[in-house]
Amino acid sequence: MEKVLTDFVKALRNSNVRVSPAETIDAVSVVDSVGYDDKELLKRTLSIVLSKTPDEKDKFNACFDDFFSDEIKQQVSVDMDQLSDIKDVDSDLAKKLLEGSQGELMLSIADAAEEAEIREIRYFTQRSVFTRRILEKMGVGKLEDELMQLGSSREDELPSDLEQELRNQLTNLRERVSDYVQQQFLLHGDVSGEQLREQIFKSMNMAQIDRSYLNEVHSLVRKMAKKLANLHSRRKKNFKKGKLDIRKTIRDNWVNQGILFNLSWAYKKVDRPKIYVICDVSGSVGAYARFMLMFLFSLTEVVSKLRGFVFSSNLGEVTNDFKDAKLDEAIEKALQKHGGGSTDYGQALTDFVSLCLDEIDNKTTVVILGDARNNFGPEKAHLMKTIKERSKQVFWLNPEGKYRWDTGDSVMTKYSAYCTKVFQCGNIDQLERVVSTLLKTAI
Amino acid sequence: MTDGPKKIIKDITKGFAKHGYICSEQIATAVFLASQLEKPILIEGPPGVGKTELANTAALYFKKDMIRLQCYEGLDESKALYEWRYGKQLLYTQILKEQMQEVLEGAKGLKESLDRLMKFEDIFFSEDFLETRPLLEALTSEKGSVLLIDEVDKSDEEFEALLLEILSEFQISIPELGVRKADIKPLVVLTSNNSREIGDALKRRCLHLYIPFPDAKLERQIVQARVPEISESMQIQLVNFVQGIRELDLKKLPAISETIDWAKTVILLNSEELDAKLAEDTLNVLLKHQQDIEVVKKEIPALVSSATETSDGKSLN
Repeated sequence: MEKVLTDFVKALRNSNVRVSPAETIDAVSVVDSVGYDDKELLKRTLSIVLSKTPDEKDKFNACFDDFFSDEIKQQVSVDMDQLSDIKDVDSDLAKKLLEGSQGELMLSIADAAEEAEIREIRYFTQRSVFTRRILEKMGVGKLEDELMQLGSSREDELPSDLEQELRNQLTNLRERVSDYVQQQFLLHGDVSGEQLREQIFKSMNMAQIDRSYLNEVHSLVRKMAKKLANLHSRRKKNFKKGKLDIRKTIRDNWVNQGILFNLSWAYKKVDRPKIYVICDVSGSVGAYARFMLMFLFSLTEVVSKLRGFVFSSNLGEVTNDFKDAKLDEAIEKALQKHGGGSTDYGQALTDFVSLCLDEIDNKTTVVILGDARNNFGPEKAHLMKTIKERSKQVFWLNPEGKYRWDTGDSVMTKYSAYCTKVFQCGNIDQLERVVSTLLKTAI
Repeated sequence: MTDGPKKIIKDITKGFAKHGYICSEQIATAVFLASQLEKPILIEGPPGVGKTELANTAALYFKKDMIRLQCYEGLDESKALYEWRYGKQLLYTQILKEQMQEVLEGAKGLKESLDRLMKFEDIFFSEDFLETRPLLEALTSEKGSVLLIDEVDKSDEEFEALLLEILSEFQISIPELGVRKADIKPLVVLTSNNSREIGDALKRRCLHLYIPFPDAKLERQIVQARVPEISESMQIQLVNFVQGIRELDLKKLPAISETIDWAKTVILLNSEELDAKLAEDTLNVLLKHQQDIEVVKKEIPALVSSATETSDGKSLN
């Protein structure tokens, strides 16, 4: 019986419920005392032992219902009594098809599937292979031969009842096995292809991710952002604890003849980091800006003062849009309002400087995302210098590969001279790295 | 095992009901498993659905001591596990000084003095000077105990790590004394309001029970058990009204404890029938935010009419 349980655990893991081996052992011992008889009780029990968040509970319920659904599809079949010539068939499978009950048939499908190692099924393209394999294990080959013989031996054109029935049963069987494989795939396979897809998305160039996948990528980005947020909020907390300020302690305790009686603690680090993000949303890099903004605004937990600006020629602030509206809507709105058009970095920098140069101080990090393709306009690099001098650091993220910098109308070197650091940022993996560096240095 | 699990679960449901706690099958199953597997239960759910009460009732039901540890930021081992009685220890060293004279009398040379000192029994760090705090107390309790660790999410992450040893092995290591193990394993109940995500390590060691808002039937039973004076029609109307409110988009949804408070208020006011005026006057018992009250005020007529309507149609049971 433990096998059923471990299979179930595997199915759970597939539907993204994280179950540890220790929990599986717990589950085994609970099931020992509860038994398999009462399905509702079993469900309640396992739900307590195996799923550990409300979200996981939902997934658990769905998975449990799928896994333990024992309904066998009732299929229409000809009444067996009418067939007098059952004894004429040789192959085991044919006998089973004609005589056996539905339950027995299901059992033999399951046995054959076991032999065919159905549990190893991973991708949906493997379904037909496994269906074929199971049918072979069940001895379909022999049955087909027999049908051939029956077909060739008949004198008149009409196939006999027996042959007709066998053919029907065979079609039924095929359907049934393929249903079975489908069901098993849902349980054991990487159904949504999620792991595979995540990997691909992470290393794929962001501009090439199709819009229809935005939702998936979005949840991926959120997952990554949450990870980063967790990491950095912990660090931030440690700042709060304070440290023994030895100098001050000695100074204060001079009155006690130098005996360190009253301890003084270093003040909490009162740090109000500000991050200003300027995104180029012109046609060439709009897609990257989308992910950048997505990432950063998923981090509001850790970064309290974040302001976002987007530009193609003129610069506009989008912070409030992101605070109020949903992320998707805000991004769409920003892209619509400011996107497209030809890029003018000079104008954008001028706007930025006139808009908020006064607010930039030595705790501010300025992040610029863009390909630095300026359409041969004035680049106004001196503005970058002003920003650099006033701020704590300036990061430039360029989605283009390094080999393309400074080709054509790109003026990357002119700007990068005034950046603390320049990153290449073409896929989500790189983006994560950049944001991690950003959080490390900015707060 | 003499009784089947189903029977035990039924007994638990009944026993809890006797102490005024109406629990769903899910909850009863969780309690059964916790006592069967001797594992801690982590209970999550919105505030006011009876998480803490569950532990209290379990203590009554199992006839064990109830030991409660309220978590808060900055809670550390000296408040949760044990502490040395510093004052007594100081006095002890005073006595020791006098005793020392006798012990060392006549000793020649440093080596001999040291040898004698080594032979001298030292109880500076011993049970006598140990002040137990809730967690250690729960382990050493003779009757066995129900240990409630309330609102774990409020404590720091370091404290969570501290809990791991206790929850999985039911033991505490005191560096000076060694490992203290529980004779009778306590039933541990942890509650969390999810103000922060509990670490995976802790979750893995616990059974997990999520208590949602109850459905209308269960809530009626709860109100009946807690406020038995209330008339049946009134009780149905109140519960329907509250269930209606939970459908709205509010900052804080009213929980069971609020429903019970409201029922008590209505009894105090001697009202027989739920109407718009009564609902409006007593809304602040149910809702704790001004914004919410304003949202609900607009909906009162509709809520009241649907609450009274459904109660006419069907009666309890």
